[in-house]
Amino acid sequence: MTAAPAPAAAPPLPETGRSRRRGRRTQSGVSEATRRQQARLGVLLVAPAVVLMAVFLVFPVLNAVYYVFVDFDGLDTTPPWVGLANFTELAQDRQMWAAAWNNLIWIVLGTAGPLVLGTGLALLLWGVRRGSTFYRVVFFLPYVLPQVAVGVVWGWIYAPTRGWLNRGLEAVGLGEVTRGWLGDPDTALYAVLGTAIWTATGFVFVIVLSALRNVATELVDAAMLDGANYRQRLRSVVLPQIMPVFLMVTALTLIGGFAVFDIVFVMTGGGPANATEVLGTYAYSNAFQLSRISYGTTLALVVTALAVPVAVWLNRLQRRASSEGLGA
Amino acid sequence: MRSSSKVLVTSAVCLLATACTGQSASPGDDGGGGGGDSLVYLVEQLEDADSLNRLEDHLADFTESSGIEVEVQQLDVDTMRTVLQTRLRAEDGPDVISWGSGPSFAGALAEAGLLYDLTEAYEENGWEVYDFAKERVTYDGRIHGIPGEMETVGLFYNTQVLSDLGIEPPRTLDDLRAACQAVSEAGLIPMAFGDQDAWPGSHLLSMALSSAVGPDGMEALFSGERSWDSPEVVDALTFWQEANQNGWLGESPVSIDYDTMTSLYLSGEAAMIPTGSWFINDLAVGADFESGYVPFPAPDGEGVFAAGLGSGPLISANTDNPEGAIELLDFFASEEHGQWSVENLQTIPPRPVDTEGLDVEPLLAQVLEDVSSLSEGGGELGYNIDVLMSEAFNEAMFDGIQALLTGQSTPAEVAAALQAASQQ
Repeated sequence: MTAAPAPAAAPPLPETGRSRRRGRRTQSGVSEATRRQQARLGVLLVAPAVVLMAVFLVFPVLNAVYYVFVDFDGLDTTPPWVGLANFTELAQDRQMWAAAWNNLIWIVLGTAGPLVLGTGLALLLWGVRRGSTFYRVVFFLPYVLPQVAVGVVWGWIYAPTRGWLNRGLEAVGLGEVTRGWLGDPDTALYAVLGTAIWTATGFVFVIVLSALRNVATELVDAAMLDGANYRQRLRSVVLPQIMPVFLMVTALTLIGGFAVFDIVFVMTGGGPANATEVLGTYAYSNAFQLSRISYGTTLALVVTALAVPVAVWLNRLQRRASSEGLGA
Repeated sequence: MRSSSKVLVTSAVCLLATACTGQSASPGDDGGGGGGDSLVYLVEQLEDADSLNRLEDHLADFTESSGIEVEVQQLDVDTMRTVLQTRLRAEDGPDVISWGSGPSFAGALAEAGLLYDLTEAYEENGWEVYDFAKERVTYDGRIHGIPGEMETVGLFYNTQVLSDLGIEPPRTLDDLRAACQAVSEAGLIPMAFGDQDAWPGSHLLSMALSSAVGPDGMEALFSGERSWDSPEVVDALTFWQEANQNGWLGESPVSIDYDTMTSLYLSGEAAMIPTGSWFINDLAVGADFESGYVPFPAPDGEGVFAAGLGSGPLISANTDNPEGAIELLDFFASEEHGQWSVENLQTIPPRPVDTEGLDVEPLLAQVLEDVSSLSEGGGELGYNIDVLMSEAFNEAMFDGIQALLTGQSTPAEVAAALQAASQQ
């Protein structure tokens, strides 16, 4: 039996008159003229996106940077240049530090809460097939509800005399702990935070459950055969496989903690007496209620500047986890 | 390739041009400021579609008599606060706006040169407005608007409840203390109050302080002759601290919003409610009992109503049609408009109005009579603080009252914060 002849190499395409005139080909066999045309087409194709980015992102950011160096009150069309005065004031502003502290509490609890609860729920329902869609819809629903509606409804739940929470507590004999949850400076922030955790838990649940569905179950089975208990299987087999997704969810939840505004604004407006003030509501209050646009912009830029490194760090962790072969 | 390039380039240029230029109105375009025979009237968001219909029907009367069409545009208060200055600077901005008269509202717009000077128009048209109200729209000696409506702040009470408990409407602070005690013992909330929205707190201070120091004392505070941390201010704040600690304001008032606060009174759960004359409209619709309305008591005698102005019409300095806009303001300043607003909006016009033959709630008729006699020299009116002070002061006052009611600050600390804010 003779070996089959190797397929003949494809004959070179005849050079056209145009390509001869325009010069030599590149190593990939594409003429420079074609490459230039491709590059031009590429530029044209991305141009709309670049224009949109420039108009709606770059320009507003540059505009915001300008405003932090002037003292703009919303009226004066030629605001005076104040240099770093807004940053100096910010560093000495006790109310800003109180708001930043509330943000820190929000970031820690508002990230850990949904991650723990959402992941726990996902693990509970991982093996559940019957009614799985129902559970996903039910737990995800709070996340897609408008924050304003959520804030209003939870405001009723927390109401001191007619609220369901106090009525429920009274019904189970815990009448002594009833209070005006949103009007008590000791509980207001945590009451709002509880609402936010309720809405975000569904998001974490759905994403983590999807990741769990892609976990290699044979590895879990193998670990079980090797005698690993539930905790060991979870820590050493399951979590590493869902780590990139878990980090992505962590990043999104955490960045949301920096930028929190709407739920606080709707439920307490930052009160009582600034007890629930966060940087977002404090920036809004300065910019639009006190007409201190520049100081409000400075606060907003600081929030952005704080969030970006964290987002970059989590993104790198996620990429490293993916490149190490982890991930569902 | 070439045709696709052209399409892409053209699209990008159009997109950029659209994004950068925004809207511009051409003559005759309905989207912007009114032309020779039309006006754009920008108002704060009305309560419901029915209110808008009533206003538009009323403006149709103006159109019929003047031949000037009026397009009503609405914005919610927060949005209006944010974009109003930009809109007034725009070529296609509104001709007439309805906006607050305080220094942070119309005062700031007048200072920025965005409002039309109406000083001559007042003389030419002989607009009859209470002096008290006219002063509120006068900035640097020039008049910039017509006051829209007057508001008084005082104490509403359920006549049946007080009568059943054998209590007379309170005239002094001690009367009020005794009434609160009796109502509380009867198992009702003495005074419905909610400060979650923060602004109702300013009315507590306005009414208590107006009655304690009178209009002259209030003017001394506004001008800086008297300090905001003076004993009278501390005492006024102390009364509300005492009321809260005794449970006379209900449970956790800072957790309760304004709507819940009014519903507590309307449902009969509370015997009294400290709020403003705008509440008469709610009473007419929602209460199945009779109410009385008295000034907040003074420490040693009868108090005075704290009064302020609501939003009123102002003309944009950039209007293309100042004659038409002045004609519209002339319509708003008329007695006919005053009678219409009394009947349809249950508000207090800032001018004398003959209410004979009008379908008016008895309580509103009483308030109209009181305000008329007080404004024409028959007595005194106090001041509603938040419409006269700066936003920075108001912020300190709103936060301060909340802090007082939640035990975070003492009356002296709140007063000191007010004094510091007044210096900003």
